[in-house]
Amino acid sequence: MVASKNKSLWYLCAFLLTLYLLAASASVVSAQGGDETLEKEAQDIDKMIMCPVCPAETIDQAQVEISFQMRAVVRELLAEGKTRDEVLDYFVDRYGADILAAPPKSGSNLVAWILPIVGVAAGLVGVFFVIRAMTGSQRRPAATVAVQATPAGAPLAAAATEDVELLPYLEIADRILASRRAASRTTGIPNAAAGISSPPDSPSGQDETPSRREDDHG
Amino acid sequence: MGDLGAISLWIALALAAYSTIGSVSGKLRGSVALVDSAQAAMYATVVALTVSTLSLVVSFISRDFEISYVARHSDLAMPDRFTWVAFYAGNEGSLLYIAMVLSVMAAIAIWRAPERVRDALPYTTGVMMLVLTFFLAVTAVMANPFEKLPFVPADGEGINPLLTHFGMFFHPPALMAGLVGITIPMSFAVGSLLARKTGDEWVDPGRVWGIITWVLLAAGLLLGSWWAYTILGWGGYWFWDPVENAAFMPWLVLTAFIHSIMVQKRRGMFRMWNIALVNVAFGMALYGMFMNRGGSVPSVHSFGASNLGWVFLMFLAVGVIVPFAIFFWRYNTLKSAQNLDSMLSREAAFLVNNLLLLAIAFVTLWGTVYPLISRLTSGEEITVARPFYDQVNGPLMLGLIFLMGIGPMLPWRRANWSSIRRALVVPAAVGVLTVVVLLAVGLRKEYAVAGFGLASFVAVGILMEWGRGAHARVRALTSGQRGVLTSVQDHASAFVQLIWANRPRYGGYIVHLSVLMVLLGIVGTSFFNSQKDVVLSPGETTTIENYEIRYLGTTAVPYGNRTEFISSVEVYRDGEFLDNISPNRAFYPDFNMASTRAAIRSTPVEDFYVVPSENLPDGDVGFRLLVNPLIWWMWVAGPVMILGTLIALWPEPSRVTAPVPTRNRAAISLRQ
Repeated sequence: MVASKNKSLWYLCAFLLTLYLLAASASVVSAQGGDETLEKEAQDIDKMIMCPVCPAETIDQAQVEISFQMRAVVRELLAEGKTRDEVLDYFVDRYGADILAAPPKSGSNLVAWILPIVGVAAGLVGVFFVIRAMTGSQRRPAATVAVQATPAGAPLAAAATEDVELLPYLEIADRILASRRAASRTTGIPNAAAGISSPPDSPSGQDETPSRREDDHG
Repeated sequence: MGDLGAISLWIALALAAYSTIGSVSGKLRGSVALVDSAQAAMYATVVALTVSTLSLVVSFISRDFEISYVARHSDLAMPDRFTWVAFYAGNEGSLLYIAMVLSVMAAIAIWRAPERVRDALPYTTGVMMLVLTFFLAVTAVMANPFEKLPFVPADGEGINPLLTHFGMFFHPPALMAGLVGITIPMSFAVGSLLARKTGDEWVDPGRVWGIITWVLLAAGLLLGSWWAYTILGWGGYWFWDPVENAAFMPWLVLTAFIHSIMVQKRRGMFRMWNIALVNVAFGMALYGMFMNRGGSVPSVHSFGASNLGWVFLMFLAVGVIVPFAIFFWRYNTLKSAQNLDSMLSREAAFLVNNLLLLAIAFVTLWGTVYPLISRLTSGEEITVARPFYDQVNGPLMLGLIFLMGIGPMLPWRRANWSSIRRALVVPAAVGVLTVVVLLAVGLRKEYAVAGFGLASFVAVGILMEWGRGAHARVRALTSGQRGVLTSVQDHASAFVQLIWANRPRYGGYIVHLSVLMVLLGIVGTSFFNSQKDVVLSPGETTTIENYEIRYLGTTAVPYGNRTEFISSVEVYRDGEFLDNISPNRAFYPDFNMASTRAAIRSTPVEDFYVVPSENLPDGDVGFRLLVNPLIWWMWVAGPVMILGTLIALWPEPSRVTAPVPTRNRAAISLRQ
């Protein structure tokens, strides 16, 4: 049981990592799909070409004469039947590669695109191993556990100093425990309350019931 | 008046320098008197800088053009209310403002510091005052706002027209305050390292000031976007401009910090990580200020280009190296009190959250520096702008939203599968259902579908959590058997009590909801907007989606410093008359600059946006028309985010620390 839980976590992490890699490469490879009108296509291209005379603005944004003219050129070229790449190449030939708002996905500039994706993927793997290392020392002495097992009989609600939202639940639990203790005193069954005498989310290592064990893994 | 300002500026510099040296050496030598006087000097910088600030304000109001800064950023025609904006229109005034903010924040932070950090306070004060000394030295020596001209000009040059917008009253000051404010949590962290108080003592002030600066940056970024949307005239709000990025990166790192500091607050874990994070955030903030004040990168924010670049670059280097050097020097004292219990726990979710936030920050940094790398390695000139960031950061941001739906549902320490199932089945089902419905109605934009699906997943999760909490409270406090009406009332009041009972958590949920609102705005405008550029003669009409406009004509209204071209436009929707709107475009001959005011009809469903992009002869006007769905939510998100932050920050009555008299506090801090 423990092993299968662990395995399913592995699969989950691997799945999420694959999902990220797929999404990232899909988003990098395909900028946009193609069933749009010519004007929509032209607007998309406008957003990929920088205005040569204005700081950090595309011709879609800039409101200077040259960007109006360049927008008109984009539409002319599209009307002539040129594709998006051909239009972009037209401007690169005239102004150089830095007219594009993003580095071309070819040659040495591929580094600009791949490095972040590889970096993030490596980071995800790294965090996975960090978490695994940090959870490695599972069976620790009870002393290092922050929430100590409450002494049997002490109200649980008093122990929950931090989890304020747990208070109502713990009060209910206290009420049940008190009634069970009262019951065990009258019936003579000693351990009616012992099984649940530690706070619900404290794996103190002592009072664990079999069902709690199942959740241990790693 | 200028002289008074200049003198008090120098006095503030002397006080800050004395306070730095005094508090550190006083602590080292164990001299109570020295530490005391250094702390008094720190409080005194507030007084000196207030005098300095007020005297610059008075100089502006009296239009004292002998002062170069006043002459360059105002003129006789400027209304007095723009003094507030003119104050930080250039580097000199901005630096004075930054120093003023830092000094006030430092004073409040030290005054309200909890008793637990008392031992480290002299070091903390020293670090804060060292940073203040830097800003004051640069202001006084290199960019003095009180510098005089050799003559008195008859009139000033006037204020930059782009600044005369309501958004500009808050966007720059909020961002500058946010950037410099990161000094405060960083100082608490470094101070406690120096004092070898490397436990969790600094966590409370670090978290509070981390959140304060976080919300200042968030508000500044949103206001800047809103300003760009209404005034820059291209209908967008965010462009991954180098200076936008410079403010966005520290915000991302702070977001990671205010999450992971909760792990330390509640569980005593991630001690090294939190200190490293706050140091990274400080480094990013210094980088932001470097870009702003002296950056040579082309940007629409080139207000502050100057000779200050190398000074800020050096300070950036020092500000990154020194805190990390101290961090490694004290490394061995930083042991977590706890271990992770399980991979399925809120702690682990926070770690992944931190990774994604840092990834977005570093991808952004990578994009900012890549043109430089390309120039140096292959000699090729390359631009990295919006398409790059959209494509690389997009998946990361969606991942973060996904985590936002899961993380808060996981308990601390260890989750068990049945509780996860209970908490997540309904939200996940709603999310999947949203995706299926959107696909069924024919939506084929993967990102938009994913965005809406994730938004509904997270929102339902949060709302269910609220509902469950309120219901449990009602059941615990009443014994059932009540009427429907009283039950509703009970639930409503239980809901309020619930928020009040665990403010950090429920305030956080409210902030999460506001992030979803921003997401709606981004998805709506990125994937569903329509745009049309058109030149109209008076009397002509044009349509976009189900809107039609009739352009009536333009009147030119001359003002002292500008001519405003106010167009009159009728708007129809589905053939019915909606409104008369008047988008306008002003031309400032002195600046050879045009500034537009878009006419925006805003509803929660969509904005209809008209902006004149050029005024042609014969009254023809080039218009840009936009239909921007859902962007309304983005601007509403700001106030919601601030509300959530205030709730999260509201101090708990039992833990308010009464201010301790200075002498007494210093005395205790030296007894160790």
